[in-house]
Amino acid sequence: MITVVSGLPRSGTSLLMQMVQAGGHPILSDEKRVADADNPRGYFELEKVRALERDASWIAAAEGKAIKVVSPLLRSLPADHEYRVIFMRRELDEVLASQERMLERRGQPAGPDRALMRSHFERHLETVTAWLASQKYIRVTYCDHAAVLRDPQTAATAIVDFLEVPLNIGEMVAAVDPALYRQRM
Amino acid sequence: MFEPKVKIDRGLYATLQRAAKVADYSSVDEFIIHILEKAAAEIEQAQSEQEIRQRLQGLGYLE
Repeated sequence: MITVVSGLPRSGTSLLMQMVQAGGHPILSDEKRVADADNPRGYFELEKVRALERDASWIAAAEGKAIKVVSPLLRSLPADHEYRVIFMRRELDEVLASQERMLERRGQPAGPDRALMRSHFERHLETVTAWLASQKYIRVTYCDHAAVLRDPQTAATAIVDFLEVPLNIGEMVAAVDPALYRQRM
Repeated sequence: MFEPKVKIDRGLYATLQRAAKVADYSSVDEFIIHILEKAAAEIEQAQSEQEIRQRLQGLGYLE
């Protein structure tokens, strides 16, 4: 079984990765993308995930571990493995504000205006939620970003129950730093 | 109320009439509206996916 931490980019997936790692769950990341102003505690990413659409041959290396896969790439996970997906949901305006700030820091074009991107992501979330529910090789649970910050104990307990692995809930809770909640709306 | 109209040539209209009949639509208007809605939705979906891809690339989540 592979644990997949997912959600839209800038929805709090790195926070979830921090939590599961702090709880004692092995993670698969290469730390090529180092901590910066956008993610002061690091990204917990694997470079190979960026190319998942054309090469998923490495996925067996993630067995028993947690990997971060942003939601638009979930369909590229090979169906010959079983996955438990922890999907982070966050207020879309917060996600978009954080994405816009990160694009600016990276010197990337801003792209479509916020209203249009919001519409794109709303449609994407509807589609991916329906798709996840219909995949026999995937089980999914949803976390709410604000709820995780407000009550990390409950969130951590729910994650452990979902994964059915013995993780240290106290350490998971301690990994949550509300000070990093910077795009609150 | 504004009722938009679109001009098409007679040859195309005749083709659409035949197609609507074959596809069992109640009228050629219903058929045209349906295929236009479907085409627009497909284009919007493609645009949406493309702009999400570009956003992901800009953020460094997609090669």
